[in-house]
Amino acid sequence: MADTKSGRFASSSAAISPLVQSPENLECKNFQEYLRTRQTPETLEKLYNYPPICLAVYRELPEIARQFVIRILFVDQPVPQAVVTSWGAQRVAKEQMEATSCLTALCVWRVTAIPGGLAAWELSPTFKKSVRQVLLGGGKPWAMTNTLDKDSKPRDITFLDSYAMSRWRCVLHYMVGTGGRNGGTDAEAISPDAVRILLHANLMKRDERDGITITRQGFQFLLLDTRAQVWHFMLQYLETCEERGISLPECLSMLFQLSFSTLGRDYSSEGMNSQMLTFLQHLREFGLVFQRKRKEGRFYPTRLALNVTNKDAAQASTTADEERMQERGYIVVETNYRVYAYTDSQLQVAVLGLFTELLYRFPNLVVGVLTRDSVRQALRGGITAEQIVSYLEQYAHPNMKLVESAIQSKSCLPPTVVDQIKLWELERNRFTYTEGVVYNQFLSQNDFVTLRDYAQSINMLVWQNERTRTMVVQKNGHDDVKRYWKKYSKSGG
Amino acid sequence: MGPPKKSKKDRGSSDKFAKKRRAEDEAYTQLVDDNDSQDYASESDGVPGAASKNAETNDENTNTDEYGAKDYRTQMQLRPDHANRPLWVAPNGHVFLESFSPVYKHAHDFLIAISEPVCRPEHIHEYKLTAYSLYAAVSVGLQTHDIVEYLKRLSKTTIPEGILEFIRLCTLSYGKVKLVLKHNKYFIESPHPEVLQKLLKDPVIQKCRLIRNEGEGFIQGTVDSKAITQFGTKLPTGVDNPAEDSASTSAAGGTTAAAGATGEGGAAAVAVPDDITDFYEKIDKEEEDEDEANLKTVSFEVAQEKIELIQKRCIEIEHPLLAEYDFRNDTNNPDINIDLKPAAVLRPYQEKSLRKMFGNGRARSGVIVLPCGAGKSLVGVTACCTVRKRALVLCNSGVSVEQWKQQFKMWSTADDSMICRFTSEAKDKPMGCGILVTTYSMITHTQKRSWEAEQTMRWLQEQEWGIMVLDEVHTIPAKMFRRVLTIVQSHCKLGLTATLLREDDKIADLNFLIGPKLYEANWLELQKKGYIARVQCAEVWCPMSPEFYREYLTTKTSKKMLLYVMNPSKFRSCQFLIKYHEKRGDKTIVFSDNVFALKHYAIKMNKPFIYGPTSQNERIQILQNFKFNAKVNTIFVSKVADTSFDLPEANVLIQISSHGGSRRQEAQRLGRILRAKKGAIAEEYNAFFYTLVSQDTMEMSYSRKRQRFLVNQGYSYKVITHLKGMDTETDLMYGTQEEQGQLLQLVLSASDLDCEDEKVPGEPGYRPGGSSTTKRMGGLSSMSGGDDAIYYEHRRKNVGSVHPLFKKFRG
Repeated sequence: MADTKSGRFASSSAAISPLVQSPENLECKNFQEYLRTRQTPETLEKLYNYPPICLAVYRELPEIARQFVIRILFVDQPVPQAVVTSWGAQRVAKEQMEATSCLTALCVWRVTAIPGGLAAWELSPTFKKSVRQVLLGGGKPWAMTNTLDKDSKPRDITFLDSYAMSRWRCVLHYMVGTGGRNGGTDAEAISPDAVRILLHANLMKRDERDGITITRQGFQFLLLDTRAQVWHFMLQYLETCEERGISLPECLSMLFQLSFSTLGRDYSSEGMNSQMLTFLQHLREFGLVFQRKRKEGRFYPTRLALNVTNKDAAQASTTADEERMQERGYIVVETNYRVYAYTDSQLQVAVLGLFTELLYRFPNLVVGVLTRDSVRQALRGGITAEQIVSYLEQYAHPNMKLVESAIQSKSCLPPTVVDQIKLWELERNRFTYTEGVVYNQFLSQNDFVTLRDYAQSINMLVWQNERTRTMVVQKNGHDDVKRYWKKYSKSGG
Repeated sequence: MGPPKKSKKDRGSSDKFAKKRRAEDEAYTQLVDDNDSQDYASESDGVPGAASKNAETNDENTNTDEYGAKDYRTQMQLRPDHANRPLWVAPNGHVFLESFSPVYKHAHDFLIAISEPVCRPEHIHEYKLTAYSLYAAVSVGLQTHDIVEYLKRLSKTTIPEGILEFIRLCTLSYGKVKLVLKHNKYFIESPHPEVLQKLLKDPVIQKCRLIRNEGEGFIQGTVDSKAITQFGTKLPTGVDNPAEDSASTSAAGGTTAAAGATGEGGAAAVAVPDDITDFYEKIDKEEEDEDEANLKTVSFEVAQEKIELIQKRCIEIEHPLLAEYDFRNDTNNPDINIDLKPAAVLRPYQEKSLRKMFGNGRARSGVIVLPCGAGKSLVGVTACCTVRKRALVLCNSGVSVEQWKQQFKMWSTADDSMICRFTSEAKDKPMGCGILVTTYSMITHTQKRSWEAEQTMRWLQEQEWGIMVLDEVHTIPAKMFRRVLTIVQSHCKLGLTATLLREDDKIADLNFLIGPKLYEANWLELQKKGYIARVQCAEVWCPMSPEFYREYLTTKTSKKMLLYVMNPSKFRSCQFLIKYHEKRGDKTIVFSDNVFALKHYAIKMNKPFIYGPTSQNERIQILQNFKFNAKVNTIFVSKVADTSFDLPEANVLIQISSHGGSRRQEAQRLGRILRAKKGAIAEEYNAFFYTLVSQDTMEMSYSRKRQRFLVNQGYSYKVITHLKGMDTETDLMYGTQEEQGQLLQLVLSASDLDCEDEKVPGEPGYRPGGSSTTKRMGGLSSMSGGDDAIYYEHRRKNVGSVHPLFKKFRG
């Protein structure tokens, strides 16, 4: 009997071990995915006690799902599933299915039986109660209230924007500027709590020799846009908040309250418990809220907080303010692989330095070049070609978008440069992998030849060697070959 | 691809064994393209010391930041209105210019005058200040003060002190003194009396000076202002000379064009700081003023027979003489009766380049750089028609001699009797003709000539030429050029080229031998305006078949090359592309440096081919067919067609093998298809340039290197990893393993000579004299016709053991 081993087999016989484990990449979840994967039905139920959370969940639902919810919100008995299905036309059946499964997965509704044996949908009572409260008012007052007296020195939106960005950049600076190279002034330092979150999120790791260094996920994190960065960071924060003795539902609720608030208005922190005040201090550190003094009972939410859950809002609102807030494109990429960046920001230079070879620095310009080496360096660091390209696209200089070819094609980058970056990535993985099963230790040459010929005849043979009597069969051919082998050996082969 | 190392070694060893050959070899070692340093020690004479100054090293002390970039932030301050100013100047002489700035137009004109373009893609251009470029700037009339001042105004930051110092150093003494031939007398002329004072203090120059009026007794005449005759060089303007030709019209046209541009720039420049526009206008005006020659100059006469000496001396004391030719006042040499035809219309950039040359009513010597196909010949013809004195045109092959003749006939009123060709094949009667067209090698030939040629040479040497046009000037190295200069006496020299670059950067010395670069066009701009074709450059990756790759990894260098050129998938890609473009009705040229591959491809596909040994008649016949015969849509050519083969019809170029990493060859080849195509503006691209590259071989890295020049001109190469539709194409050759195996056998049995590139005169390793064809020799087996049934394992062993010396003598 031949001994079979299951395993992966590279069609090229080179050493493959480090390549087989596909490296962990940064996963960036949206709110829905977060709730679905991280929360059990029990905790979800707990979360639904907080009206702001319910409102946020409701907002994130697919359009059809929102319709369903609003239709049955004030119906006090379960609604038969057949009725719900009949609401949509046949051609949107697929979307309807999606909506249904989404509502189920988030435990917004659940299946119950109604008299007559029909299956019916019933909204989760907690969820129902909270949403009704959001819509109609009532219940406990929100933790965040409007201040009663006017601020003597009110802050305008421009100030808040720049404050928020400068705070957020501190976190990013910390990530790139580690190793004590540029020390960092007091304003740039971040608290141990923030460091703990970065470590927890695996964006940075503690190294024996160098202290804390950035990880591959960290690099990928830097290439995200600001909104995605903040959201990812806050999710990581929430995961660690229980350890700190802060309740997760309360934090989430607070976060959403902030995101529903008005930019440029000040709110009072009166009535918050000590846990929430701690949370507020953390938010203050990351730039999600502005507070003049630690003890002051007045704070302003910033745009970072407003956009945290709301990806549509970030895209839709293209007012003048919004554009100012969105960092202006500053990168020019040329067909000769030169990269010119109009910046003096340490952070932007650091990010650029991840995948370009920097040549010169002028007071407001950095000159670099994309080379095979520099891009490969980045690829080795775990950044993907896609991320590099999208980063360059995202921050492309306005003039790049005026070029004839940019108007015709979607991307404003020179197509050859994009192609080349992708080719550089491709040239790193030219092995093709085939999963397979090894057959060896045949007792006779005859057995081997028979089985090999069979495997070949059904096109499942990957590799064979007569001398060592070893053959490799594709994984999905394994069953066939095994069956054949059993039959063959039983028949006295 | 004759690897440089090998040819060097061969030369050394052949010297030992064949002393006789040395003399011949010597003539060609000068032409060596590679970085052989041995020859260059002598080449640096005739080049002033300051030319070796280099701003590149100015920033050696600059700190690098944590990313390895040179950090200039401490050396300059950003100016408050930096957004309105278009450029940055780095302490190492590199200048970066925003092409989208409202003052781009001004800044670009200025930078092209004072610096060398490094790369000019879409948005931000890079220039470099060099000793040569500054020399050129001064020689077209810019002053140190103007350069510094204008640079300051254009810059977003303060200018680093080192750069200001560099500019002063390079411009203060250069370009100040001119050697002018006027009324058949030679004068040393300068607008700066103090410079002439200084010159006259030099004993050598004193001796050369000719004093007519004061009589011979005053030879020891004190050097004071009295001795310097001062006069305004008021020139007759176009009005009082009805025979005034295209020069003035072109100049005038150019002026209006420039004026229009200024007006346009002024209108657009709302946000431009006033000082930039003001200053631009001022400089512009000064340039125009020069035409009217209000400039006060001082001069003294020198003896004609001592010109050579005085030129040398002036270089030694760091005041190189600029040669200017006041052709309108030269009555010694007869005018030739030649004019531009009315049909010849100059394009704006051609006018501009000529305006630089004839800027002050005289002819300056210098180099004009235009892309291939942008009408260099017309510039040359116009220059000759402007000077209207005997003209000598030098080019580098017999075919281009013919083409120059045609160009003269097409654009000017010159007829057959006026144009004389002087090549090994065509020797027209030179006496009495106005224009002589010949090749570099005819002039510099050292061997015995025929009686007829001898006569022509003597005549040629006796003449005083008004203008000498040097076509493809980048191909001739300094030493060869010097020899041309000793043979031919010419008042002004115009170099024409598309690519003023060599792998060894020695090209710079030409600036001092011919003259400064007068003009360099921007490829991308010409392309946008439709003067040259819009070319899609593509690099097609051909995977090596496993059998070929195995051999590639195990064999020695020279055969490696043959293996990747003969790679069957390359052959198939080539065949596919030819078919594809023939269906579209395109005209295709296929280039291969390797003759073995060239012949194999061409014969297999049944296409005509041209290489070194092809006779002149056959060449012309093939080219004529390619032009006019609708059935001949594809030709195969070796590197003989790299330069000056004018094939206006061709719009597809496929390159299957090339000369290592030569940027120049790449640009020259692209030039073959650059000529603007008629009526094809609608398409995004109307010409295609494919380079076929065997994957995972040395070719890949060569290809990278080759592309650098064009990439810097703003071209982009699209990488094609898979040709769409090639899988479905059934009748491509070498599809089966069996056929590929046969091809491999063929390659393996090829002799060493087959593995080398073709040698063309003017290249290392070319052996002149003897027969003009290179006889290819195989082993004993191939001589007995046994190439097909070869015991190749046996042979391979043999090849390995052959001493390198014997390879040389088998040929």
